[in-house]
Amino acid sequence: MSDNQKVRFIIERQDSPDSKPYTEEFDVDYRPGLNVVAALMEIQQNPVTVDGKKVAPVVWECNCLEKVCGACMMVINGKARQACCALIDELKQPIRLAPARTFPVVRDLMVDRSVMFESLKKIQGWVEIDGSFDSVDAPRQNPYTAQVAYEISHCMTCGCCLEACPNVGPQSDFIGPAPTVQAYLFNLHPIGKYDAPKRLEALMQKGGITSCGNSQNCVEVCPKSIKLTTYLAQLNRDVNKQALRNIFNV
Amino acid sequence: MNTAFYLRRLHSLAGLVCLGAVLFEHIFTNSMALGGAKALDGALAMMELIPPLIFLALEIGAIGVPLLFHGIYGIYIALEANNNPGRFGYTRNWCFALQRWTAWFLVFFLIWHIGYLRIFEKGMNGTHISYDLLQSLFVGSPITACLYVLGMFAAIFHFCNGITTFCMTWGITKGPRSQKVVSVLSMLLCAGLCLVTLAFMSSYFLMV
Ligand code: HEM
Ligand code: SF4
Ligand code: SF4
Ligand code: FES
Repeated sequence: MSDNQKVRFIIERQDSPDSKPYTEEFDVDYRPGLNVVAALMEIQQNPVTVDGKKVAPVVWECNCLEKVCGACMMVINGKARQACCALIDELKQPIRLAPARTFPVVRDLMVDRSVMFESLKKIQGWVEIDGSFDSVDAPRQNPYTAQVAYEISHCMTCGCCLEACPNVGPQSDFIGPAPTVQAYLFNLHPIGKYDAPKRLEALMQKGGITSCGNSQNCVEVCPKSIKLTTYLAQLNRDVNKQALRNIFNV
Repeated sequence: MNTAFYLRRLHSLAGLVCLGAVLFEHIFTNSMALGGAKALDGALAMMELIPPLIFLALEIGAIGVPLLFHGIYGIYIALEANNNPGRFGYTRNWCFALQRWTAWFLVFFLIWHIGYLRIFEKGMNGTHISYDLLQSLFVGSPITACLYVLGMFAAIFHFCNGITTFCMTWGITKGPRSQKVVSVLSMLLCAGLCLVTLAFMSSYFLMV
């Protein structure tokens, strides 16, 4: 590998939430193991485009740098994914970066994902307790579902699945796969399950689980490999049962 | 009141049960054309054995109302999607987009098909639908024949892919393996029904 090899980035930028997007191109020195976040840090240090123009540094978000916080989600070569684990070696060049426009753009690659938090409130994405238990008295996780609960609890609200889902966006009020499937996590919890009917009711409202059209993009793109479509199907069963309970008043 | 939930489930049922039955009836009756004029006219005469009032009630209750509901609510559902198979080119996502594209085509096709044959010809002109009428319609205008074949293909794909999504929507198939099995089986059904359609449609041209 020659020392002066460059990696070309074509970045879709936007100065403010309402301003018009434009693209700028940057070259970054190649080094083994380089990923998109590291390359963006290089651009931040030396924000000069390929035409030699000095510009404002590109804005994006990141925290953990190890695929656990969710912050660095963006569209890389057309696909929604985490920038911190997108290795340059595995990407087709030039590398195209764009904000995930399912969410409102704040600036450049930075988006406002707070809509997911609002959706988690709608489905009661928490467990209702007052006080705490001594560990001996605490209700135990069902050992048969603990594995599934653990898997779903990995969700980092990155929003990849919402960006990929054709039914999430300004044209629809679907809360999207991640918050929907979180309802199943809390329904599995030994205390959370008391509120399961409430969560299922929330999923039966407009914009709930019925807005899913089974395109299965979510499960393809989830960086945490959560089996979203399997739990969506399980929740479909659960809301059907809830509907029967409602109809027959049992 | 969870109206969204009940409407969506009703849309799904109307599509699979009512419209699915109509589709099978259509393919079955029309495939009689393979046996020539006598066979098709015989099959059409069999249908006329149903008393007219009951037949009309069936047409309205089991076809008209479910179709209007499924079609109109379906347009609303289709407008909620931002089809993106160009960006996310997975098989199921292509099927998702095709489900919506065939739906749009069916809106125009069914308005034309039902409007012309059922409402204008049979309803207003009192024309008797027969082998000869269909043959002159298709052979006289190959474009019409092509549009009918496309309409059938669209409806068949839409219905068969609908079986796959129906099983997901109702939580019948949960894991990827069962979903895959149903999707392969329904695509085989899709291919089979399309072949039958091609066969009976081309028979009009081969038996002139
Ligand atoms: C009039 C035009 C039509 C429109 C606009 C339309 C629209 C739609 C749409 C948008 C869906 C997807 C629903 C979802 O993802 O939840 C769908 C599903 C379906 N449609 Fe249609 N459709 C039409 C005609 C038909 C016809 C003629 C048939 C039967 C041959 C049919 C059978 C089905 C079935 C079985 C499903 C699957 C239901 C499910 O996934 O739960 N549709 N339709
Ligand atoms: S399966 Fe449902 S939730 Fe997942 S991407 Fe498709 S429409 Fe969205
Ligand atoms: S389900 Fe997966 S893709 Fe969706 S927000 Fe959670 S971690 Fe991200
Ligand atoms: S920086 Fe936390 S997931 Fe990428």
